[in-house]
Amino acid sequence: MSTAGHDASRDASAAARYGSPRLPRGARLTAAVRRLLLATVAGLVLAAIVHIVTILLIPVLSASDAITAYRALGTGGRAELISASGDRGLPLPREADPATVTAVCSYDLAAGPMRVVARAGTLPLGLTLHRRGGGVIYAITDRAAIRGVVEFLVMTEEQRDERIARDEEGEAARELRVVSETDQGLIVARVLVRQPSDRADAEALASGVACGLAD
Amino acid sequence: MKAEAVRVFHLAYLIALGAGLGLTSAHFAVAGRPLLGMAQIGAWKTWPRSGGRDIDPYMRAYLARGVHLPLGVGEGLELIAEQDDQGRTLDGRCRYALTGSTPTTRGWTLSVTDADGRPFRLPLDRSGFTDSEVVRGENAALNIAAASWPQAGNWLPLPASGRFQFRLRLYDTPISTQAGETRAESLPRIERTDCP
Repeated sequence: MSTAGHDASRDASAAARYGSPRLPRGARLTAAVRRLLLATVAGLVLAAIVHIVTILLIPVLSASDAITAYRALGTGGRAELISASGDRGLPLPREADPATVTAVCSYDLAAGPMRVVARAGTLPLGLTLHRRGGGVIYAITDRAAIRGVVEFLVMTEEQRDERIARDEEGEAARELRVVSETDQGLIVARVLVRQPSDRADAEALASGVACGLAD
Repeated sequence: MKAEAVRVFHLAYLIALGAGLGLTSAHFAVAGRPLLGMAQIGAWKTWPRSGGRDIDPYMRAYLARGVHLPLGVGEGLELIAEQDDQGRTLDGRCRYALTGSTPTTRGWTLSVTDADGRPFRLPLDRSGFTDSEVVRGENAALNIAAASWPQAGNWLPLPASGRFQFRLRLYDTPISTQAGETRAESLPRIERTDCP
């Protein structure tokens, strides 16, 4: 009786000294490796989630994109040139073609729809709408000009619905309406400078783009 | 007590792995132009969806990290070549001949840039040609010689050494909407003439 009690107490003290009593050393190692592997797999899954969320958040949070850089340009109703002189300390667009002249008009549709009017000249002119967060939502060239003028309206979905409701019954809208999902964005006018001597003409053409509030 | 410490270690390891690997991979995925959405036509690479509404998230993130105003679909198409037709990286020490034709377009420009798309600062103020500036032969074919030393004809100066890119921009071209189906024969060929 007394010897059995003595053995039990000795087992308990041995167990306390060597950690888990029931598992041999190899099995304990296997369990630790398995737990580490499990944590690695969970970490990789978390990495994938972090990767996707980061990629989706970069355009939303970026403060170095074109929309932020040029948001002060063209608020006076005319597109303004992004000139190489950089008198306002504005950054030049990256990967831009040196043989083009670019004028920018930033818009905010909170105040109402914007009307963009561009005259067609002899040099190729392209107008693009860049929304906040990336993506060109509309592109038109001066080939689409009617009587030498390219004209369209930029508006939000609600503003378009409002205008459709105001349209007269049975009469098709005469204006070209472009819907922007975001309130803010840029209207970019790009003119190709075919010959170095065309630069002044190209600058006049690009900065001649009007972008004011529509009535 | 020991089990608690092990659990904390595993949790810290999991978070460090997830955040570290996730952020690093996201950074490198959009540090340059992403491979996703790229179309390769001969030696030329293009990202036809970068100028549309259905831009993919990687291209969108890449463009948002800098002041980019990509050409819109319908406005034009930009093609970038970093290698010649044989797949060798473009090198400023060599001489290249750009021959062949360009797709139907209202105007195009061909320029030499560094890996970030900036023109080099060379003594001669010519970083590219437009379609009106280039002098054509009797058969109206394109023939541009690119080298760091003077060439007869349409000479496009290259940097004296190192890597560079050719950038071909097609304005108001019908192929911008189906760039992926364009055949290599309709774009200029890039041949390495010699390499001293």
